Amino acid sequence: MATTTEVTPRGETGHTSPSPRRGGAGMRAVREGRAAWTLALPFCLLFLVFTAWPVLQSLFMSFTDTKSRDLRSPFSVNVVGFDNFTKAFADPVFRKAALNTAYFVLIGMPLTLGIALAAAVALDKGITRFRSAFRLGFYLPVITSIVAVAVVWRFLLQQDFGLINTVLGWVGIPGPNWLGDPNWAMPGLILMASWRNFGTAMIIFLAGLQGVPWVLHEAAAIDGAGAWQRFRHITLPMLRPTMLFVSVTTSIGYLQFFEEPFVMTSGGPLNSTISMSMYTYKQFGFGNYGYAASMSYIIFVVIAIVAAIQFRLLRDNT
Amino acid sequence: MRRTSAVAVATIAATALTLTACGRGGSGSTASETGKNVGSGKATGTITVWAMGAEGDKLPTLAKEFEAANPGAKVNVTAIPWDAAYQKFTTAITAGTTPDAAMVGTTWMGEFAGNDALDPTPPSIDKSAFYDGAQKSTEVKGTSFGVPWYVETRLVYYRKDLAAKAGITTPPTDWAGLKAMAKAMQTKAGAKWGMGFQAGGQGSWQSIMPFAWSNGADLTKNGGKGYNFDSPQVLDAVKYYQSYFTDGISNKAAPATPTTEPDFVSGKVPMFISGPWEMSAVEKVGGAGFKDKYDVMQVPAKVKSSSFVGGSDLVVFKKSKQRDTAWKFIQWLSDPKTQVKWYQSSTDLPAVKSAWQDPAISADTKLATFGKQLETAQAPPSFPSWEQVIASFDTEMEKVTKQGADPAAALKTVQQQADSIGTGQ
Repeated sequence: MATTTEVTPRGETGHTSPSPRRGGAGMRAVREGRAAWTLALPFCLLFLVFTAWPVLQSLFMSFTDTKSRDLRSPFSVNVVGFDNFTKAFADPVFRKAALNTAYFVLIGMPLTLGIALAAAVALDKGITRFRSAFRLGFYLPVITSIVAVAVVWRFLLQQDFGLINTVLGWVGIPGPNWLGDPNWAMPGLILMASWRNFGTAMIIFLAGLQGVPWVLHEAAAIDGAGAWQRFRHITLPMLRPTMLFVSVTTSIGYLQFFEEPFVMTSGGPLNSTISMSMYTYKQFGFGNYGYAASMSYIIFVVIAIVAAIQFRLLRDNT
Repeated sequence: MRRTSAVAVATIAATALTLTACGRGGSGSTASETGKNVGSGKATGTITVWAMGAEGDKLPTLAKEFEAANPGAKVNVTAIPWDAAYQKFTTAITAGTTPDAAMVGTTWMGEFAGNDALDPTPPSIDKSAFYDGAQKSTEVKGTSFGVPWYVETRLVYYRKDLAAKAGITTPPTDWAGLKAMAKAMQTKAGAKWGMGFQAGGQGSWQSIMPFAWSNGADLTKNGGKGYNFDSPQVLDAVKYYQSYFTDGISNKAAPATPTTEPDFVSGKVPMFISGPWEMSAVEKVGGAGFKDKYDVMQVPAKVKSSSFVGGSDLVVFKKSKQRDTAWKFIQWLSDPKTQVKWYQSSTDLPAVKSAWQDPAISADTKLATFGKQLETAQAPPSFPSWEQVIASFDTEMEKVTKQGADPAAALKTVQQQADSIGTGQ
């Protein structure tokens, strides 16, 4: 590795204290470059072996008809070109899964962000005494195991004696058969997912809100702007970078919609809650590795497109 | 920089594509195999056995007796949780790290044998000792790959006290009788729903197929080379099943999480179809004395009564280095005396017919009904793609029960999907 005979003095920390005695700037750059590569090497190796290689392998797999029994003899698979992709687009269940995922993202994400922003503003401005208690309370669902959450929510959403329908009954609304009715299963899952996930976005919004300079609000207030006007014209624009980050991460999470239907409904009733990730998972389970790999690449492309759109819409133009 | 890396990725992918373009050769499956003989004498050496759930916890105690009878042998039992088992088996088969012997679910046999992982059953094991339906579950393409260990089958559970109230004292034996009984439970005995059928969805085939089989249906055609879902026998059964929902006898909006036991005990749903484990489950909810308030009956016949046979098989893996000892252990577990002992410690029903003569089992009349049903109960075809095909059946049945879809059209869709998926062999 080391071709230079020069021994680096102990305590030498690179560019912070350049020594005029040794070499020129070029020599130092080479040395630093080499040190950087040495330090980065373990990560690079791990990345190549455990990330890059499987990614390439699955990309290759998505163009083949690999089944479970081919894993032991990988040279026996057939390359089928784009057949898996055309098959996925023609597969009625995959199309249904794509629609369900879109439904989940388009309704669930704005709902989650709306609740998160409202909670963050309330915590930022409202009662200061219980602020940390509320913060903890709102964040608690995020760190609770999804399976535990799902089991509890299955009871909450139960038609006959579930808490949600009981409360609806008090105000005279007959509650639906949340998880058993194809039209209500998805709203039920979105309700649960929003409740569980808004805490993450709320924490980031809170940080963003605290970064809004108070002087702007003060100046606007002196000019006669009301609370709503200040929120609309100062807070929201200042939150733009935060909004971008939160909406991109939330929508990626929601596009990979999996645990909620997996635990609560296993995709039913009538495939009304099956998501793209879950259908991919099912196909892996059936041993159709090639087909499933092509679906996961479709999801990847969709996520990339959605993120690109959000970047374009919410980019900070300054 | 970005450009070059994209080119590199494309190059590697293209190389990989050309390298492996040779493709899969023949069908990859072998013709029927014959098992090799197992050496005589006492078993020696150490074997590893995988078992799931309660069986994994209780088997070590029984294995001690085997070790006592064979001083040179040692059995290491690894307990595996059920929900991780399938994954663990497929991983082990792929990686070639399988145990010597294992308990496997009956519906996995086709896939594991199709992956060429299982050792064919040696001729010294008497296949006629087992219930026929259970024995069939070990056979893939005419070769037996293991022995049935314990069995279960599905019966109709019904509330005896409520049936008497509805004026029915002898259980019906035909389809019309069963439906009339379920209806009478609603009109005369105050039940909300007459029959607790599952409204489609995952696993519902297990309660629909007993009717198809009782109508003489064969789920395979072309000499066992393809699926056969759109036969008149299956269609009849699905129409019959659907009529329970259209006539309001069964709940088409049944909750996603079934509440079978409390509904049965309260009389809200006084009839349902399930396996032997429900006996202890309903008696636990029902409390003392509930045992006498209900009974079980065979699936009513159209041609002949039949039901679904499930349970677990015991297999030896091809990679085993102690093949003979593994088979000797399995042979010992299949001994009628061992089977009765196993029933007493685990309440798993014996797969060996003669074990049912033992008073420990024959004294219980409900168990005797299970034993009777087992004589005609059937297993689904052991095609490797069964799990995948039946998932589409379950979805289509959900449309039939919940939305009143046409059974003939639904079965046609299932058949089309089954044809396009293939048997996987």
